[in-house]
Amino acid sequence: MSEMTKKMQEIAREILVKGEAEVVIGWEKGTFWYLSPPAFIDKPEDVQRLVWDDFCHNNLSKYLVDLKNHEGKAAVFVKGCDSRAFNRLLQDKQIAREKVVLIGIPCPGLLDQDKAKELGKNSDLPKAQKCLDCQYPNPLVYDYYLGDKEALNEVAATKEAADYSDVAAIEAMSPDERYDFWTKQYDRCIRCYACRNVCPACSCRECVFDQTRVGWIGKANNSSENQFFALTRAMHVAGRCIECGECERACPMDIPIMLLNKKLVKDINELFGEYDAGIDIEGKLPLGHFDKNDPEEFM
Amino acid sequence: MKRVGVFVCHCGTNISAAVDCEKVAENAKSFPGVAYSTDYKYMCAEPGQELIKKAIKEQKLDRIVVASCSPRMHEPTFRRCIESGGLNAYLLEMANIREHCSWVHPDDKERATIKATDLVKMAVAKVMQNEALVRSTIPITKRALVIGGGIAGIQAALDIANAGHIVDVVEKEPSIGGRMAQVDKTFPTLDCSACILTPKMVDVANHPNVNLITYSEIEKVEGYVGNFDVTIRKKARSVDLKACTGCGTCIQKCPTKVPSEFEMEMMDRKAIFTPFPQAIPNKPVIDRESCRYFKSGKCGVCQKVCPTNAVDFTQEDELVTERYGAIVAATGFDLFDDSVYGEYGYGKYKDVITGLHFERLLNASGPTMGKIKRPSDGKIPQNVVFIKCVGSRDEAKGKAYCSKTCCMYTAKHATLVREKIKDSNAYVFYMDVRTPGKGYDEFYTRTTDQYGAKYIRGRVSKIYEKGDKLIVWGEDTLLGRPVEIEADMVVLATAMVAKADAAKLAQMVGFSYDQNNFYTEAHPKLAPVETHTAGVFLAGACQGPKDIPESVAQASAAAVKVCGLLSKEEMPTEPIISAVNEAICSGCGMCVPVCPYTAIDLKVIQERVHGKTVSRKIANVNSGLCQGCGACTVACRSAALNLKHFTNEQILAEVDALCL
Repeated sequence: MSEMTKKMQEIAREILVKGEAEVVIGWEKGTFWYLSPPAFIDKPEDVQRLVWDDFCHNNLSKYLVDLKNHEGKAAVFVKGCDSRAFNRLLQDKQIAREKVVLIGIPCPGLLDQDKAKELGKNSDLPKAQKCLDCQYPNPLVYDYYLGDKEALNEVAATKEAADYSDVAAIEAMSPDERYDFWTKQYDRCIRCYACRNVCPACSCRECVFDQTRVGWIGKANNSSENQFFALTRAMHVAGRCIECGECERACPMDIPIMLLNKKLVKDINELFGEYDAGIDIEGKLPLGHFDKNDPEEFM
Repeated sequence: MKRVGVFVCHCGTNISAAVDCEKVAENAKSFPGVAYSTDYKYMCAEPGQELIKKAIKEQKLDRIVVASCSPRMHEPTFRRCIESGGLNAYLLEMANIREHCSWVHPDDKERATIKATDLVKMAVAKVMQNEALVRSTIPITKRALVIGGGIAGIQAALDIANAGHIVDVVEKEPSIGGRMAQVDKTFPTLDCSACILTPKMVDVANHPNVNLITYSEIEKVEGYVGNFDVTIRKKARSVDLKACTGCGTCIQKCPTKVPSEFEMEMMDRKAIFTPFPQAIPNKPVIDRESCRYFKSGKCGVCQKVCPTNAVDFTQEDELVTERYGAIVAATGFDLFDDSVYGEYGYGKYKDVITGLHFERLLNASGPTMGKIKRPSDGKIPQNVVFIKCVGSRDEAKGKAYCSKTCCMYTAKHATLVREKIKDSNAYVFYMDVRTPGKGYDEFYTRTTDQYGAKYIRGRVSKIYEKGDKLIVWGEDTLLGRPVEIEADMVVLATAMVAKADAAKLAQMVGFSYDQNNFYTEAHPKLAPVETHTAGVFLAGACQGPKDIPESVAQASAAAVKVCGLLSKEEMPTEPIISAVNEAICSGCGMCVPVCPYTAIDLKVIQERVHGKTVSRKIANVNSGLCQGCGACTVACRSAALNLKHFTNEQILAEVDALCL
């Protein structure tokens, strides 16, 4: 058992025994060695189910939305990306800060699940792409912190510039090539909506794709409707995507969804100034406010 | 089964010269839902409207497409038309085949006709999706606010008050009267400005329906037409208006002298002062910036000599909030800063003054008791040079526009110089003489012919001092030779500019202003006193340079608009606004900051979830504030917000009609 797993179990037990929260959301070992799905612990004796390993990918803040009408408090473990998701949901007024106990965990970067499945146990596994791209491995907001605080500052100070080389490669394509590329990708889409369900920026009460809007949004699984879905989903998270990469990980058809999200992050940075979602909860959203001095080049 | 009627207008030859209107009407017959289609020369004229009404009845039409001009032009006309024909006004669509078609494609009738047909096709598809909308009403607060107590504000307030409505006049200065109070005589009749202004000031002050709020400024404006909540800052006057009798003892005894703004700093006033003898209210105010008591804590003479104990040093600014149904902005103008023109030496030579300085020199209660004297040495000038268009019509250094009043007041000044000073000369340098106005050109002709003012067409290149003279170098462009005049005094006809804080007020109230910060009327010809913000009207020079007759006329016009609004108990609101689907709204609040009209806030609702009552927040659109711009509908991811009359489905129907 790792040191961090021990710490997690201890603090979870303490929180439940003291009654600080009614449920603790963490990770537990799943069906396979390379899966660590979310665990919902509400009894102190169950805390030994909790684990911290290289596959604790799930963004746990998303589950707080389901507990919106829950009367008691919930405690949740947050990595850097989970904490950004938490901020994101706060900004979208989907959760109340006072109803959540946040337990921060410094994240060293997790391993690639698909490669784990492919290469097998005891092989040299690469980090997940989303973790290679990650600029905020440490939680930005927490009530308890399970790591070394000094290390936290150090990592924050060495935040690397974002790498957009994959986006640049797509941008370098001709429009036809690019259309073919995305058509091929989204022709595989089975419209399972896993990307949406796992996304912390997708917090609508009723998603437009679940509504009946004949002629406007179709349910058919074909090239045109899939593209409409792909573009709409990307635009709906634009300016709010915290780049946790959960959409892409959850996709059973291996569609490079993060590539679309990253393209939008890059465009927003270029058009509206540098902006990282889920960092500052007071600031204005790049696509979410009106200013009398907004440029109106088209007028 | 929906039955659409299509009516194609020729607009005389505006449309029919470029579009085959008969063919468009014929083509429309084949579109799904169209039961009747016809064309007519002038659809907006009475016979055209009758044609529509008759067809609604005879053909049992339930929705109408009019293919004509821009909906901005005649949508209200045709809405009224189909309403009187028995249909809901919003079951109308306009296909703009004039601005969007015939006017932009005048040379290709065949293809313009195809385009017009497509535009009609889209309108038919849209109108099939239209829903009947019902106007709601909002109550109207029967109280008007006039911002500015100059002649425009006074006139507007009097007219509104005479119609029986309560009016508050907020004036920034200690007295009402504005610029007109500074003026000596008025053109073209040369009657004394004070003689015609002060009785009006008294009228407005004594009117039972008018409340004067002087020495006060607008702090905050919230709300919308019919219900503006305005916060007014009443600046501390340091004199209790109720106790003060206006005896003036305090003014006499005050030891501190400062240059009088009203007298263009050519004369002193006291630190406790009334700006001019006929001021209303004729009760003093303490200028705390220069008052010895406020600066050093010592003095207090005014308080000691006041027989009614009205001087109160402890007074503080007071904020009051009042609700108004309508607002008239009548904030007036400032003068251009002439020191920009270094060649004229304004600000450097004491005897180079503006027209407004000259007005004070003419005035019997001014610094020279009405005798024209030089500010430098008090000598009576023999040669007076007037320079017109200083700051006006000069894109390089001044303003591009014509200040409109200068030609006439310069003629007036020249006349008065010749009249008041024996053997004097009045020289006027001008670019053009513009005298449109009743009796104006006759006045100008008298100035030159009867009074012998010498008009020189050309600009002045330099003014410099030589002894006690001002040497004016210029050019007579008609004779094509240089001119040099030994002048005793130079008067600059200074441009009128917007008030320095004009933009601030416009932003606060929420109406638009132009590149010169003059307030923008809703339509330069057909809505000259309205703004684009419902319930806010304009009067006087805050909208652009104006003389007194024009300001008064515009003020009365604005007053009529206010009275029209206040004469109703409630007013209908435009139903083309955003609507919230409460079941879907997740209360994320993204729509709140994107709304340019602050029409959306979040409200708490209660609902039952799994047997428990829970509360949650949802968006709430204020129907009085929403202008139907649709910004919120694009911000809303779950499409909980929809703009009535422009729903996603309606827009899609148009797109499908064109593209499928």
